Amino acid sequence: MNLLGRWHPRFWRRELPTVPDRGTCFEAAQASGLNDLQTRLNRWSSLWTLENESATSTQAQQLVAERLAHCMESCFGQHLHSSLLGKGIQISLASSTPIFTAFLGRRATRELARRVLQDI
Amino acid sequence: MSQLVRFIWTLLALHLALGIIAYAHFLVTGQYTVLGWYFETLGSLFFLVMTATECCLAIICRSWFDSDEPMRLAWGMIACAALARLSGVLLRAVSDGHLPWGYWHRISLPSGGLFESLSQLGMVVGGPLSMAFLAFGLGRVLGIQRKFRLLGALTRVDQALLFLVVAFSISQLAINLPLLGRHPSLGTMLLWLSDPLLSLLLIEAILVRRSVIRMGQGLVAKCWGMFVLAIVITSVGDAAIWASNHNLLSVSMTALSWYIWFIAAAAFTSAPAYQLAAISLTREGSMRLPAKR
Repeated sequence: MNLLGRWHPRFWRRELPTVPDRGTCFEAAQASGLNDLQTRLNRWSSLWTLENESATSTQAQQLVAERLAHCMESCFGQHLHSSLLGKGIQISLASSTPIFTAFLGRRATRELARRVLQDI
Repeated sequence: MSQLVRFIWTLLALHLALGIIAYAHFLVTGQYTVLGWYFETLGSLFFLVMTATECCLAIICRSWFDSDEPMRLAWGMIACAALARLSGVLLRAVSDGHLPWGYWHRISLPSGGLFESLSQLGMVVGGPLSMAFLAFGLGRVLGIQRKFRLLGALTRVDQALLFLVVAFSISQLAINLPLLGRHPSLGTMLLWLSDPLLSLLLIEAILVRRSVIRMGQGLVAKCWGMFVLAIVITSVGDAAIWASNHNLLSVSMTALSWYIWFIAAAAFTSAPAYQLAAISLTREGSMRLPAKR
């Protein structure tokens, strides 16, 4: 745990380093790449709202959802989910993000979302 | 339990173990020598370590929120409250000449000032000022909890406790207000604010406790639960001082009541430690599932 790491001088720079402009060139994306991107976006949106989760969810998605639920339970406790959403409703990124952001901060929520995105 | 919280409570346990030895010596011999040394040296050192740690942890917690997030101000106020407590401990130690590292030179304020002594200034900074910062910070937290509809309804026991606390504050003000005719110092008048501010903190603590019960036993819930515990213990300590001043406690019970403040200090320090544990849980490499998987 490196909580003091964000005070490293490199974070103080207001402007991010940019890549020298070499002229923008667009290349035709390959069909397989687009399909992969579409699949990831679909997974992301299903994790966000948990729509049709029982019908189409893969094992990886379930694992991510479980991780999210475990993290929320560790941070806020076992009763919070039901008191916020009502019993029987599964946890989603959309439902968990506001309370994570309010109590843990935007940066910590971004870290969590990044971890979830890595896993799908 | 996070490692830091475990360390804080282990340190408290060790400190109290030494305190029990000093208390036993006092009970057997009836002399304050060892007990006095324990509170003046080890006690002051413990308060300094705890308040300094709390202040640092609260500042780190604050830094994890962006400037437009309401919790940044809440943690800023909590950090200010911890800093005020730390300053209060230092001012009183300097005034009494009882610094833990053996600096025995007494420093006093010039007479006729706003404060009667440096010790009184320390009591105001570590008391009402610190409480005002904490009350403001907890008020912000209650606002956020209300937004998420986490605030629960007060029970009859809560209402009875609130009635008692408010009645006690009003009675204390009724006793103090006639003394205004004697032209007390600013420090004395500011110290009168201690009871009303502690009542406000207790009301906030009860409301926070209601929402913590609704949350469960998570790290964030424990963080705010620790503030509630610290405020309740502070109220008990305050009640013990009042009872001692009115000769309602025996000498041995009065000496025993002094230990309450160490538990309150540990509870105050544990709160930001729990918040940091929750933040670290969301960071890379720490979001683990339970071992059964």
